[in-house]
Amino acid sequence: MAEKRALSSALVYLDPKAALKFLEEAFGFETTLLIEDAEGNLAHSQMAYGDSTVMIGNEWTGEHRSPASIGGLMTQTVHIQLADGEGTIDDHCERARKAGAAIIAPPETQFYGDRTYRCKDPEGHIWTVSQTVQVMTPDEWDARDMGLKTTVYKP
Amino acid sequence: MASRVMTALRVKATPLRAFEAFTAEIGQWWKPNSLFAFTPRAPGVLSFEGRERLIETREGGKVFEIGKVTVWEPGARLVFGWRQAAFTSDMATEVEVLFEAVGEETRVTVNHVGWDSVPTEHVAKHGFPEPVFLARHGEWWRVLLGRLREHVE
Repeated sequence: MAEKRALSSALVYLDPKAALKFLEEAFGFETTLLIEDAEGNLAHSQMAYGDSTVMIGNEWTGEHRSPASIGGLMTQTVHIQLADGEGTIDDHCERARKAGAAIIAPPETQFYGDRTYRCKDPEGHIWTVSQTVQVMTPDEWDARDMGLKTTVYKP
Repeated sequence: MASRVMTALRVKATPLRAFEAFTAEIGQWWKPNSLFAFTPRAPGVLSFEGRERLIETREGGKVFEIGKVTVWEPGARLVFGWRQAAFTSDMATEVEVLFEAVGEETRVTVNHVGWDSVPTEHVAKHGFPEPVFLARHGEWWRVLLGRLREHVE
């Protein structure tokens, strides 16, 4: 785990050290790299979850802003996919709630077979958490009469 | 000693085994990095001398003391000094290594503090701005811990 991956997100916080603590308590992320300057301010950090990493940083340029600084807006959200055997979505949600997350969409099983919930962390980043609870085919999704037609690209 | 480089990862071993690999077998997984050489000479082999100090032994037998061990708690915690030959007496850094059981694995955490005691213009910093130097040092520790993990597993 925690090797350099081809894609990873970098999230911006007003208080990145508080974010590290929250993300560990709420989601079980583990800090794998933390650089602090002589004043103890966080300069850079990375956290691992499964085989993926996220970077946690501060508002290091005028264009990097926490949702807490811009009225709760954001241009991306991060998705957490729980594997089988990593507990249930409902337990995960409860743990996040206890750690201080605001649950904005409670656990619900979706038409495509995943159970999901969405929450906001203390600075307003939205996190989606999902786990496959029923393996379904695209034909089965369409049969749910959601008004959708799924086309799967086959190279 | 305020500035800090922290890296951590999990290894598939008990805390005691991870501690033993970190200490008794350091010469087998340690990989020198030319940016962070202890002496201007060709790098040697690292070893802990008893529970007293971490040394580098160069080819030919010359020994450089990297630092004294101040905490030796097998399976839990290790603290030792870390200095380069070019440091003056008022420069010192310190490395703390923690070994924590997480299920059947061990989380190994390295906290390297004190690089702010070394001025940015010092040869050890290679002219890097402080955050860049610390980040590169962190990357090296990550490589080292990765090698420790491979060695243990």
